[in-house]
Amino acid sequence: MSPARLRFPRHVYGEGHEPDPRFSLANERTFLAWVRTGLALLAAGVALEALEPPVQPGFRLAASMLFLVLGTVTPLQAWRGWAQDERAMRQQRPLPSPLLAAPMAAACAVAGLLLLVGLLLA
Amino acid sequence: MTPPPTVFDPGLQPERTVLAWRRTALSLVVASTLSARLMAPALGAEAVAMVSGAGLGLALVLVVAAARRRRGIEASLREHGDLSHAPGAATLAVTAATCFASGMAALVFVLGRTLT
Repeated sequence: MSPARLRFPRHVYGEGHEPDPRFSLANERTFLAWVRTGLALLAAGVALEALEPPVQPGFRLAASMLFLVLGTVTPLQAWRGWAQDERAMRQQRPLPSPLLAAPMAAACAVAGLLLLVGLLLA
Repeated sequence: MTPPPTVFDPGLQPERTVLAWRRTALSLVVASTLSARLMAPALGAEAVAMVSGAGLGLALVLVVAAARRRRGIEASLREHGDLSHAPGAATLAVTAATCFASGMAALVFVLGRTLT
């Protein structure tokens, strides 16, 4: 049997044992789901500014920037979360909690509120 | 008579993972085309073509990469029973980096419009 080569990234695959492949594949799909979420946030941020819906400009810009910042940070967290979870599975530790999920949901709610207020003020 | 090749996982996870990559490629196409269309008045037709073209090209790369990835994953599962010989996570890292760069570009665009 040929020896396994060390896969990228080393800080994930360099230690531990192979987890159940189904968990690794599920981890990969979770990463992709986060990436899609980030893309949707970016599209929302661009659309708000480019389409200029009838929302008070200050509030609209604030909501747009919030979506854009979230959308830019999301792929970073997607990768980080994937790496942390894969490492934890390889080392048979409990999965770290997804620290970014709750603040992201809160930030989306804030953006929605900004739009609502801005809509009423327009 | 050799037994027929068995599916490692009755849940068909490798197939579901390829579909997830394809959904991501589709999101990429939609986001880049929409952004290009929306930025058209500000940036002009060439920028629109470039952004949509880049998004579409990248999406195609993802679809092809996902197919290759799946073959590597299934080969590793068939021959070793685990993912030890499957592809590494370079495709994931490149995808995340590209989306991050797109986010930065979108921020620059919106800030540029606001500040000028």
